[in-house]
Amino acid sequence: MNMQIFNSKHRFNAFVAIMVMSILVSCKKEKATSYGVTDQDVYGTNIDKNKKKSETEYIAILSTNLFQKPLSVNELVKTQHVIQSVGDKALVSEIIISNYMNSPDVILPSNASMRADLDKFINDLYKRFYVRFPTELERAWFKNYLQANPNVTPELIYTSFSASDEYLFY
Amino acid sequence: MKRKEFLKKSFTLTAGGIVMPYILPTGRLYARTNAPLADHVVYVLFAGGVRQQDSILQQYLEGSQGLSGIGGNIMYNLFEGAPPTSKIAYGTSPSGQPNGSSPIPKILSQSLQKQGTVFREMRSVNGGHYGGLNSLITGSASTGQGLKVRPSMPTIFEYARRHGGYKATDVWFIGNGIGNSTPLLNSSLHPDYGLNYGANFFAPNITFGSEGYDVLANAKIYHPQEELEPIYKMKNFLDNTYRVRQGQMVGIKNTDDEKTRIKEFIRATFQKKAAGQLSFPPVSGGDGATIGYAIEVLKEFKPKVLVVNMSEVDVGHGSFTGSLQALHRADHAVGYLWQYIQSQIPEMSGKTIMLCAPECGRNLNPNPIKDENDWFGYDHGDSNTNRVWGMMAGPNVPSNLEVGSESSPVGYVNDFSLTIAEILGIKFDVQTNGYVDSYARSLFERI
Repeated sequence: MNMQIFNSKHRFNAFVAIMVMSILVSCKKEKATSYGVTDQDVYGTNIDKNKKKSETEYIAILSTNLFQKPLSVNELVKTQHVIQSVGDKALVSEIIISNYMNSPDVILPSNASMRADLDKFINDLYKRFYVRFPTELERAWFKNYLQANPNVTPELIYTSFSASDEYLFY
Repeated sequence: MKRKEFLKKSFTLTAGGIVMPYILPTGRLYARTNAPLADHVVYVLFAGGVRQQDSILQQYLEGSQGLSGIGGNIMYNLFEGAPPTSKIAYGTSPSGQPNGSSPIPKILSQSLQKQGTVFREMRSVNGGHYGGLNSLITGSASTGQGLKVRPSMPTIFEYARRHGGYKATDVWFIGNGIGNSTPLLNSSLHPDYGLNYGANFFAPNITFGSEGYDVLANAKIYHPQEELEPIYKMKNFLDNTYRVRQGQMVGIKNTDDEKTRIKEFIRATFQKKAAGQLSFPPVSGGDGATIGYAIEVLKEFKPKVLVVNMSEVDVGHGSFTGSLQALHRADHAVGYLWQYIQSQIPEMSGKTIMLCAPECGRNLNPNPIKDENDWFGYDHGDSNTNRVWGMMAGPNVPSNLEVGSESSPVGYVNDFSLTIAEILGIKFDVQTNGYVDSYARSLFERI
């Protein structure tokens, strides 16, 4: 009998305690707080790039940039051997790039879309090849150069970026 | 002479005297070197490990398999001497006839020994291929050189370009492949020299083989002014905004014009290959093909220095018959190379000195591996491995001269670097820079 009274009293106390705790720790409506920070894409600078890409890395990244899909392992190994077989690496890269440019599968922006928004094209170009934004000097140089040379196509620009020294480093 | 005029001329001459020395390509204050002995150098690394007994000593099976009375000369384009008369296995294998039973006809009317100077008994400084090749192209005594790294000491290519003032397409290394360190021998890692002065390099069995064809042959030919010029203009701008740091260069550099010329050469070589018009030796393949592509480079660029490396003799570890055949074919290829320069490349004929030497020899005693003729193979590493020969021919080289003998060795492989430096007229610079072995001498001094 005593045990029954003890149990019901304690059950009630426990119930009350749980209810109080629930009220104390329950969630509240979140306040929207703004700190005035705007979203930024984070990219490095060319000063940070001091590691040479291996031949395999270079070919893999290059082909992915130009074809938007990875090269097969066989193609990768074959190309790596050919790079090793020539002393001037920049020269052999230029030939490989022009070989890729001769492929029907290469994906390039059109000349019209490039010239419709040069700022965007230059930004995208640096992000695609160098994983960074252009400096003001670089942006200005390319913009002036492309405006002054209407015959320069995206293919020629992609070729020069693919064959440049900075593209060999990360 | 009026005082004013005198002062003006004196000032001009003094200023010129101060400024002029700095614009010499060598970077030296004054040109202070020997007169060149020839306009061009072709240096054949007769590599793969060539056993003295099987080559210059002309012992054939007598000195290798213990078959008495069966000696003879299987390298009759290089050396004087009658070929073996029995157990002929060093030749080619026409269908239906025994392996190696058909010797390749002699290509030179007069052997290189008759045309030049032979060092009958030289010493290599390393018992392995890479160490030996390193010695041949650097002349350095440095032996602590790992595989798959560039030489630590300057190569003859770098000496030639830095002190001779040659451009990249004047200096070539044609390798037998891309294995081991071969593609890295065109330049050292030396901070005073390095890739800025390195040689152009092809491993033609890859560059112009099936892999090269797949990767390079379909390249677009850009218009020089309308397309290439903007590409290089933009690339040069990009390269100027990202300076490659010291020691981070990945390859040698040609000028834009040189690159255009090399690209055209690659394209033309694929076309010639397809049309069967390459200048290969009559018996080709392997080392013969490497020599054939070297000839294509000679024809196009007329380089000041071309080094070509062979290696097929190295099958001698497991096939003595195979190594005899490779030795015989290599002799044929070198004879063809010399004949071609003299008869088909007028700009180089009579103006080229050719040098030739193995990087190391082979053991005195055989290993237990028998080939199809039950002949034992030979490794390399004992003292017999250090026995090698050397030769040179061309203008200012004494003809029909033999220097040294088995009992009196003269010269060693480190001498070739200084010898080439002397031929090019830059011996003083190379010697005083102190990177070649202090015991090395020009072979002209050894005579």
